[in-house]
Amino acid sequence: MSPTTLMLVLLGLSTVGYYIGRRQAFAVAGPTRKVQELHSRPTYYGALTALWCGIPALLLYSFWLAGEDTVIIQLLVAQLPENIRTLPDVELKLLLNNIRNLVSGNIVSGEIDATQRAAADHYRSLKATSQAALAVVTISTTILATLLVRSRIKATLRARNHVEEIIKYVLIACSTIAIFTTIGIVLSVLYEAIRFFQVIPVTEFLFGLEWSPQMAIRSDQVGSSGAFGAVPVFLGTLLISAIAMVVAVPIGLMSAIYLSEYASLRFRSYAKPLIEILAGIPTVVYGFFAALTVAPFIRETGTVLGLDVSSESALAAGLVMGIMIIPFVSSLSDDFINAVPQSLRDGAYSLGATQSETTKQVILPAALPGIIGGVLLAVSRAIGETMIVVMAAGLSANLTINPLKTVTTVTVQIVTLLVGDQEFDSPKTLAAFALGLLLFFVTLILNVIALYVVRKYREQYE
Amino acid sequence: MKKALIFLIAIAMIATVFTPAQAASGRNYISIVGSSTVYPFATVVAEQFGKTTPFKTPKIESTGSGGGLKLFCAGIGVEHPDITNASRRIKSSEFAKCQKNGVSDIIEVKVGYDGIVLANSKKTAPLKLSRKDIFMALAKDVPDPSGATKLIPNPYKTWKDVNPSLPATKIEVLGPPPTSGTRDAFVELAMEGGGKKFGWIKAMKKKDKKKYKSICHTVREDGAYVEAGENDNLIVQKLDANPSAVGIFGFSFLDQNTDKIQGSFIDGVQPTFEAIADGQYPVSRPLFFYVKKAHTKVIPGMKEYLKEFTSEKAWGEDGYLSERGLIPMPEAERAKFKNDAGSLQTLKSVK
Amino acid sequence: MNNTQKKTRRTIDIVNQSLARRYRAERRFRLYGISAIVVSLAFLAFLFVAIAANGASAFWQTYVKLDIHFSPDTLRQASLATADYQGLVKKSLRNMFPEVKNRRDKRQLYGLASPGASFQLRKIVLDNPQIIGQKRSIWVPADDDVDMLIKGHIKREGPEESRRLKDKQLAWIDQLIAEEKLEKRFNKTFFTVGDSREPELAGVWGAVMGSFFTLIVTLLLSFPVGVAAAVYLEEFAPKNRWTDLIEININNLAAVPSIVFGLLGLAVFLNFFGLPRSAPIVGGLVLTLMTLPTIIIASRSALKSVPPSIREAALGVGASKMQMVVHHVLPLALPGMLTGTIIGMARALGETAPLLMIGMVAFIVDVPAGLTDPSTALPVQVYLWADSPERGFVERTSAAIMVLLAFLITMNATAVFLRKRFERRW
Repeated sequence: MSPTTLMLVLLGLSTVGYYIGRRQAFAVAGPTRKVQELHSRPTYYGALTALWCGIPALLLYSFWLAGEDTVIIQLLVAQLPENIRTLPDVELKLLLNNIRNLVSGNIVSGEIDATQRAAADHYRSLKATSQAALAVVTISTTILATLLVRSRIKATLRARNHVEEIIKYVLIACSTIAIFTTIGIVLSVLYEAIRFFQVIPVTEFLFGLEWSPQMAIRSDQVGSSGAFGAVPVFLGTLLISAIAMVVAVPIGLMSAIYLSEYASLRFRSYAKPLIEILAGIPTVVYGFFAALTVAPFIRETGTVLGLDVSSESALAAGLVMGIMIIPFVSSLSDDFINAVPQSLRDGAYSLGATQSETTKQVILPAALPGIIGGVLLAVSRAIGETMIVVMAAGLSANLTINPLKTVTTVTVQIVTLLVGDQEFDSPKTLAAFALGLLLFFVTLILNVIALYVVRKYREQYE
Repeated sequence: MKKALIFLIAIAMIATVFTPAQAASGRNYISIVGSSTVYPFATVVAEQFGKTTPFKTPKIESTGSGGGLKLFCAGIGVEHPDITNASRRIKSSEFAKCQKNGVSDIIEVKVGYDGIVLANSKKTAPLKLSRKDIFMALAKDVPDPSGATKLIPNPYKTWKDVNPSLPATKIEVLGPPPTSGTRDAFVELAMEGGGKKFGWIKAMKKKDKKKYKSICHTVREDGAYVEAGENDNLIVQKLDANPSAVGIFGFSFLDQNTDKIQGSFIDGVQPTFEAIADGQYPVSRPLFFYVKKAHTKVIPGMKEYLKEFTSEKAWGEDGYLSERGLIPMPEAERAKFKNDAGSLQTLKSVK
Repeated sequence: MNNTQKKTRRTIDIVNQSLARRYRAERRFRLYGISAIVVSLAFLAFLFVAIAANGASAFWQTYVKLDIHFSPDTLRQASLATADYQGLVKKSLRNMFPEVKNRRDKRQLYGLASPGASFQLRKIVLDNPQIIGQKRSIWVPADDDVDMLIKGHIKREGPEESRRLKDKQLAWIDQLIAEEKLEKRFNKTFFTVGDSREPELAGVWGAVMGSFFTLIVTLLLSFPVGVAAAVYLEEFAPKNRWTDLIEININNLAAVPSIVFGLLGLAVFLNFFGLPRSAPIVGGLVLTLMTLPTIIIASRSALKSVPPSIREAALGVGASKMQMVVHHVLPLALPGMLTGTIIGMARALGETAPLLMIGMVAFIVDVPAGLTDPSTALPVQVYLWADSPERGFVERTSAAIMVLLAFLITMNATAVFLRKRFERRW
């Protein structure tokens, strides 16, 4: 039985379990159907049976499949002839890979001899045994569990509490996915980042003022030695994000205030979704717009004014990015402004304040922690934005805060380092992972601050 | 009713998650990865191949040469790509890695040449540069103009400073970043060629090769050379918007945009198809792809794909690849690689 | 005297005096608000108009009418699949312009019809072998250069060598137009096929299906998991370090650059679990991880907005906490959660960077038919076309963006509809 069919069978069995449990509950209640004497409603007994019958079997199933291969390989190696077993690790692995490919009818490298063929047959039979065993074990588990629960069903069984407990654990499991994702991210960049730091010292990376990843591409090519100081890259990121925030915060905040305090319901119901579309437009589109419309415009304006503007100025990328994040600021601020209780407004009006005075002096201070939290979230979105800067910002890492000059950002560097033509284990490629790791921690710190601010200064109006 | 629906959705969800685990084996299309420079040519061949043969159209990813070789060298088997495109030759370290992972038999096929052009907007006159001018305009350190044999940081701001016959516009060159193979080739062919024009720098090649290379290969970082990413179309459009800028990119982009931009003369030769093909135009580089021999027996269509790529109607003088801007190899070289590919001749070592 | 006057100056006078100024400030403030909205909407409109102006012409394609003789000499039964269909096209073009003799001119002449013409003929013959021996007039797509000329994207003027189309070709095109053998028609190809390297043969359908499959996976996984996580964090979780950690994590993940999720997908789903490259299932999993935080945050605020009175009433009549949440709070919070989900999905729809790492940025001609077939996605298609040298792809890039935006607006409209339909205000 293939794992997929088995999976479906198990799901089917637990459905059957549900009905068995429910029927048993009715049966326990007696022929007069005094259901109210049961501790829980009959569906809970059904659900309890289904859960007990499904969950252990599924857990068993996943552990079995996860461990199956290792065990089979151990058994297989033990069966191999002496001269093969004592091969160096690398060659043995290659051989095993060949055997595995042979089994799945896949590509095989080199010639196949009789031993390998025999081993492949052995592998196949082991695999078949394992799958049969899995099917027997899981199906019998489900049936046993069903029977066990069925025998336990009594009027006093606290089925609802049990089911709720189990559901709660499922909910907890779902909420920990965020943590696993974080761990996954850290792990997937950490290994390569460590290899990078073995070549380039951490201090040089963190505090170096020059970023110029011009390591030699080939061994016979020298070029410059390359410098991996992340400061200019992060400064560039901050510069572009700062420009974006200068655009997004006033516009976003004022839109939010207008929409929640002044606009008619009708206007609001049209304007709000329209503004939200700005956040949904693919960033590739913004990138084009920044590179082809905004950047040349800024450059020409600058030339007219006698300023020296680079054709890929930080200003162009920042402005367009600012427009993209307007909805983040406005939506979040809108939520927090709406959350300020009406009584505060009424109080201010009754004291004779105009609407704008109320907004500025009562509502904004009350909503401020939330707004700051929202703005910080928008900042981290700006820092992490990739496609706009890939297309519109340059790649030269200048240590400058002049918005008319070209700067580069962390995300741009990650993309260009990873998809370039260079050798894959050179510090250049590895630098991308180090940058990714650092970026991750920077946004993490920003978020911790945001959470702290929101917590500390939140006003409770309950 | 509602519960049944929820239940069905749950089943669908679980089934979605678990089905692919076993669908991983068995692949009936060719998987190709690699350089973004070869991508536009390989895709044309793939499409032609897919539409004129019973095989499925190959899947081609644009991962960059390095990323492509990394995937390629990861091992043998359907989950690994069959072919990788490269805009440079495989390196010995990469070759060793391939060997280590069991990818022992690799077939190397040279595809043709890609001209690297300097171009500017049609709204101004074409630049007439020499390689020496390019070196003087773009190197980080240039020889002291007083004639002494020492280097000073590049002082030139306009093209006129470099060479009085050039216009007095600001030097602003949009070019590829150091991670790019295009940049590598440009630096080696154009700038080193220019650096060599100074006798004392050339003399240094014998004495201190390292220093010589670092003089010739280091591009200035004071803003005159703008690292503009690898989207060549974007560079073309930026050039159109900014007539004083000069861009560096592959010939095919010039070929497709002759109404907007023009190639600069280098050493008196304008980058035309013919001039690059017969070697008059000095800045061009070879393109390659690498094939896993072990896969040719198993993945359907591999040999036919090789045959299509190496046929005269694809990479010949009048082939459809030449219409896309690929510069064909001389006939003898074509015959050699066609033969190698046909007989699945593998690469023995890389120097 | 002065003193008494000062005394009679009441607060109301001060207020009245400052009223004009305060009303001016009020009006200014209002103006700022309205102009902020106008600025963002103007930008939106500008973007849409710019894209539409660029891309609208891609919905039309120039076709040439060819009189094809399906000659039995070329089409032998044995090798119908590999016969020289290009030869039929060439012959038909030569018959139309018999005066063309030398080799160079012939090449130019053949350049008028798309290479796709021969694929089209091949399909006609394979579908209906009886056609062999007959003559038919068939509309085939014109070459992209011809198409660009007809649409006015490349100019007729200027020196001949700097033009894609030479003088002779222009003369032929004019003649064809005069004979009504060249016309623009609705570009059905664009909506029905996958990618191609010939602009006139390229379509978005492959990318649309890729996006569709990817989003299905994302939706099926991220919605239930996101809602479950939000319910736990908002309704059940004790406030302690552990839940703080989860909360910071979620907020942080919402801001992690999307390319980092691509790295995660590469390491975990491709290398560790061995899922196939370039498959929508992997794209969907990566995008699920990326959109989960957005959905959790939106769902939590939806749960927060359910008034305490509802909860208290439910608990008051004896519901358990789980029953209170499942039967009363969740249905009321669902519209908000759906809205959040759709906004998250819209973001997933427009995402390119993580797909770069898991092999979905690829040239794929065949339209994907399932979750494990190789495929691209709409924004990836935009990105790839934008980087193609052929001029015909410029308008198609914009047209693909229009398709993407249409997709997006439909999703947003659904969100608005749901919000309106089910939203309750307390």
